[in-house]
Amino acid sequence: MNISLEKIDDYRWLIPQTGAMHVPGLVFANRELIRSIQEDQSLTQVVNVAMLPGIVGHSLAMPDIHWGYGFPIGGVAAFDMDEGIVSPGGVGYDINCGCRLMTTLLRGDDIHPFMKEKDLVSALFRNIPSGVGSRSPIHLSRSEENQVAVMGAEWAVKRGLGTPRDLERTEDHGAMEGADPSVLSERAIKRGHDQLGTLGSGNHFVEIQVVDQIFDPEKARQFHLFEGQVTVFIHTGSRGFGHQICDDFLKEMSKSAHSGHASFELPDRQLACAPLTSDLGRRYLAAMACAANYAWANRQILMHWTMEIFLKTLSLRPEELGMNLLYDVCHNIAKKELHQVSGKATMVCVHRKGATRALPPGHPLLPQVYRPTGQPVLIPGDMGTHSYVLAGAPGAMERSFGSSCHGAGRVLSRTQAVKQAKGRAIHRELEDRGIFVQSRGIRTLKEEMPEAYKDISQVVDVVVGANLATKVARVRPLGVIKG
Amino acid sequence: MGIRVTGPTLEDLFKNAAQSLMEIIIKKRPAGKRSLFSLSVTGDDLPDLMVRWLGEILYLFEGDSKVVMDMDIDAVTETRIDATVHTVPFNPTLHEVVTEIKAVTYHRIEVVREKDGWQATVIFDL
Repeated sequence: MNISLEKIDDYRWLIPQTGAMHVPGLVFANRELIRSIQEDQSLTQVVNVAMLPGIVGHSLAMPDIHWGYGFPIGGVAAFDMDEGIVSPGGVGYDINCGCRLMTTLLRGDDIHPFMKEKDLVSALFRNIPSGVGSRSPIHLSRSEENQVAVMGAEWAVKRGLGTPRDLERTEDHGAMEGADPSVLSERAIKRGHDQLGTLGSGNHFVEIQVVDQIFDPEKARQFHLFEGQVTVFIHTGSRGFGHQICDDFLKEMSKSAHSGHASFELPDRQLACAPLTSDLGRRYLAAMACAANYAWANRQILMHWTMEIFLKTLSLRPEELGMNLLYDVCHNIAKKELHQVSGKATMVCVHRKGATRALPPGHPLLPQVYRPTGQPVLIPGDMGTHSYVLAGAPGAMERSFGSSCHGAGRVLSRTQAVKQAKGRAIHRELEDRGIFVQSRGIRTLKEEMPEAYKDISQVVDVVVGANLATKVARVRPLGVIKG
Repeated sequence: MGIRVTGPTLEDLFKNAAQSLMEIIIKKRPAGKRSLFSLSVTGDDLPDLMVRWLGEILYLFEGDSKVVMDMDIDAVTETRIDATVHTVPFNPTLHEVVTEIKAVTYHRIEVVREKDGWQATVIFDL
């Protein structure tokens, strides 16, 4: 399908509302990125999303957009609570896939000997369960799993795997309201029982970094970031638990649509959805919240274990390491939020699939500590390239339902990347650049090689140019572990 | 990642699709202590049935740690499949896992009759 685009300005492109679309599409991109965006099906998917009932504003596309299952990855769409729908495809299989950034008191030189000898990377690799089929040392009983599903990160903190300060610096305080384990299938429960505290595989990682550029000294100071500082990024989600929940509800919603309960024709089966006012829609949101909370507990536990590994490998006391959580964001979620729709404050259900919330300074949902600065927006780069720390800006609330990009976005599929990487030793190429990688799967390194992703600096420049967020700092990788 | 499989009959198509799925996940599948059990899946139409069928095969591995080695398709219609599935317990020291498939998607799902039989296209979430 040839999708026509109208340029609004250097960073925004309109897909005019035509045919069965209820709203126009809006793509955040520059001239160069829009060319690559037009090469896959992602714009067709933006148009398909615009056909869903109750959508308000625009069907949005972030600059890191690429095609996904139903909704594109990098897609944002908000739905009226009375007339609109909720779609598991608009959240993604990996519910609350997200990331957190930890700061330390260390400088890159302090850990250089441990990076050169690969001690720190190896210690993380040995002790953080990762890779296909990995199992956690934590085996949850049924009642414990229900508690995790409701309490989220607090479950881990109550067991000594963190502090209340961590919860303050986590989106939604590390637990979404409305989680109800009674709506979960036995299969979801089964898949979740021994995966809490595992990294997973694919593009999930723990990365040791150094801050190599400060863009906003004042905000960096308030985020406790300084040039040359060692930071750590963790990127993972709700594991098999979340995947099963998405699968369960996609199938149930698909069946419901087929049996004539839907009042419209789905442009794509993967867009199976249910009215927000329906029992099915409510059950999905309750189950999705369970998965979101599981993911926050997961990242909380992995952060604590990472800190312990740093302390032991570097022989430091906690006050010498000073590892603290800057913030934790999710980038696959659906949330009920208050936004301006046609000039009126309206509660809508915002779907962010491969997109990050970006609240501006003063927003009431922000913890006090970040009201002056705006929300930290964490943008992990692909393996081997920079990641960014941004701060939410007012334009996000005006233009994108408080949303920003989530990463670099793929330009090559995993299969294409493996083909292009044939004969290359990706880990050696990275080592030549001073980045030490350990991965359980050789295929993973090829799938995740830098050329498989868009240029993140361009993606970030568009977000900044469109006033969705401002740049605070940039970090570069020193070491990575992947599943 | 996805598969495109063919088969002269629907039974062959569904069997080939399941075996292709397992071959993507696990490189080496040496025999272990075999179990047999019956698996029945229903769907709204052939594409939906294919997604649900492969979803069940995937769940046997992801949820029950069972590796599907072989199967006999007892009966298949446009909305139902009955099969006897042969599995062995997953053993990480014996079974080399190559690719993690997280879900069987409806994305571009297609099950069509061709001149010489049937063809199916299925995309997996990795």
